[in-house]
Amino acid sequence: MAKVFQFMSSASLEMLTGRTASNVSELEEMIVTCSESSVFYHTFSALLKMREAQAPYNSDFSAWVAENLHAPALAEKLTAVDFSEYRTVEDLRNRLLEIIRTYREEQAEASRRSCYEPFYLHDVRRFVYLTDKFAYDLASFRELLPTISIYSVYFHFIESRLSANLDCNDFSEWIEETLGLPDLASRIRRIDISVYTIEGLRQRIIDVVDDYLEKMPAEEDRNGGRA
Amino acid sequence: MSEVKLMDYREVVGPDIVEELMILAAHVGERSIKMVNSTKVGGGVAEMLHRTVPLLNELGITTTWDVIEGDEPFFEITKAFHNALQGKEGEFTKKQLETYLEYNRANFERMSFDEDLIVIHDPQPAAMISFMENRKNSWVWRCHIDMSHPNRGLWEFMRPYVEQYDAAIFSSALFSPVLSIPQYRFFPAIDPLVDKNRDLDENYVSSVFEKYGIPRDKPVVTQVSRYDPWKDPVGVVRAFKMARRYTDCRLLLVGDKAADDPESDTILEIVREEAGDDPDIHILIFSPSIATEINAFQRGSDVVLQKSLREGFALTVSEALWKKRPVIGGAVGGIPVQIINGHTGLLVHSVEGASLAIRTLLGRSPYAKELAENGRQRVKDEFLVTKNLKRYLLLCLGLDRKGFETTFLE
Repeated sequence: MAKVFQFMSSASLEMLTGRTASNVSELEEMIVTCSESSVFYHTFSALLKMREAQAPYNSDFSAWVAENLHAPALAEKLTAVDFSEYRTVEDLRNRLLEIIRTYREEQAEASRRSCYEPFYLHDVRRFVYLTDKFAYDLASFRELLPTISIYSVYFHFIESRLSANLDCNDFSEWIEETLGLPDLASRIRRIDISVYTIEGLRQRIIDVVDDYLEKMPAEEDRNGGRA
Repeated sequence: MSEVKLMDYREVVGPDIVEELMILAAHVGERSIKMVNSTKVGGGVAEMLHRTVPLLNELGITTTWDVIEGDEPFFEITKAFHNALQGKEGEFTKKQLETYLEYNRANFERMSFDEDLIVIHDPQPAAMISFMENRKNSWVWRCHIDMSHPNRGLWEFMRPYVEQYDAAIFSSALFSPVLSIPQYRFFPAIDPLVDKNRDLDENYVSSVFEKYGIPRDKPVVTQVSRYDPWKDPVGVVRAFKMARRYTDCRLLLVGDKAADDPESDTILEIVREEAGDDPDIHILIFSPSIATEINAFQRGSDVVLQKSLREGFALTVSEALWKKRPVIGGAVGGIPVQIINGHTGLLVHSVEGASLAIRTLLGRSPYAKELAENGRQRVKDEFLVTKNLKRYLLLCLGLDRKGFETTFLE
């Protein structure tokens, strides 16, 4: 019997640290010294919120740099970082620092510019939990997709790579490894999170699965796709 | 208010959100909370507790709410405390501080604190913790006011009490002072099912405009706010007049006025003077306002303004965004948290900016609609009572744990 997929979700309790940054060099210092959970909060958690509000940033750092430091080039470079490529927060932290340091070298003058509103560093206590939704095959997976929360979609598509140290999202992993549908897994893996809201991402996954189910070869149908 | 059940929120926020609240509540398990504040009626805190307490009980967290008792001298002192902690200069006499502590002791002795978590709201009952001996439960101070620049003298007196708590909660990073205890951030929240925010029939909305003699023959730009200089109603009138040179519209100012507040009389006089006899400017004064009518004014408006010069959190912004209105807000206090400029609304810093924003939103309705849609989503994600419930559940889980590693709940 195929391994059942139990949907999970996550939630965050936001904390205030009292720490602020007022220019690029202070931001760099902050990113160097802050906790891993702070980096997670201002990147992975922020992305979820910004996608939902359709703001053109992927982190609190890039939003602050654009809105308060008025450094659009740096904001663009930070926004272009694709979090789904990072399997640890430390890797992501290093990438952000690399971008900031390069900017400081190239734009020494702009780096000293002070902001309108400081950046307030937050931290987070994060909780991951199982939901009561189970997929047994592709059909039940498809059926459940519209009913899970956006937090669950986000957890499986983006966050879980960090805990599972995966190269790809949970959905693709399960579809490939358990259902034995590498083509579908690959199509889901290629969905670009930077252009969708989480609701849009959910719909895109549904569309890809529907399309696949419609064209599914009979052999695969018997093996994994339909109950 | 009490007839609303947790399940009623399924239709508003989605069944998935309510289901996850129930899962988190199951992980919290058998737990009890006591909320303590200074009033059962009036004000945002009481309004929020009226809804949060029964909903937490529905989620299986035994939650009670107690209100401290006091008389005129005590509440006069705590009102002065409130203003001073928000930055007002001035000194307090030894006698005043002693009176504050006496009332805190009397209330402490009158109440019991056997619950697992005690949440003390605002400064009035904050010193009660000092009378608790051999404390085994968790105490958290929920501060709803802007404490970013507290009166130094009073803060030196208050701080040792606040730092006895296990944690403090503030509405924004902007509002919190430096403390030795952990600080959590809980945004204030609106309730989508109360009269002020629930869906209304369009006929009712029209009838309210009709009742107050406001024709809807042209776009309506509205600010719902107290007549207070910091809400800048005069700036709103000026911005409206500048915008109207380019686009035909009406201005509606809707505000409360405390009967005994001479300052609001003065500002109202200035607003009227600025408005002159312009037939497109409608100034309404409520004392007090009727929630469904305020709701109707917001829903019936083409653009909603909150052009404040200084603010607390300004939940009127969330109220308007929830109703899918394009909103223009002053970039102060908690407004930028709600309005991501250019994405969930427009932020402004001047009368000229507000005027331009009015023209933009009235002239580019697809853009205005997009901002309004995104704004509603932002409120749904962050500023609804259901999110507040989630935060309390996470607080119960978080207080049990040290460190910042991700917790897998099993």
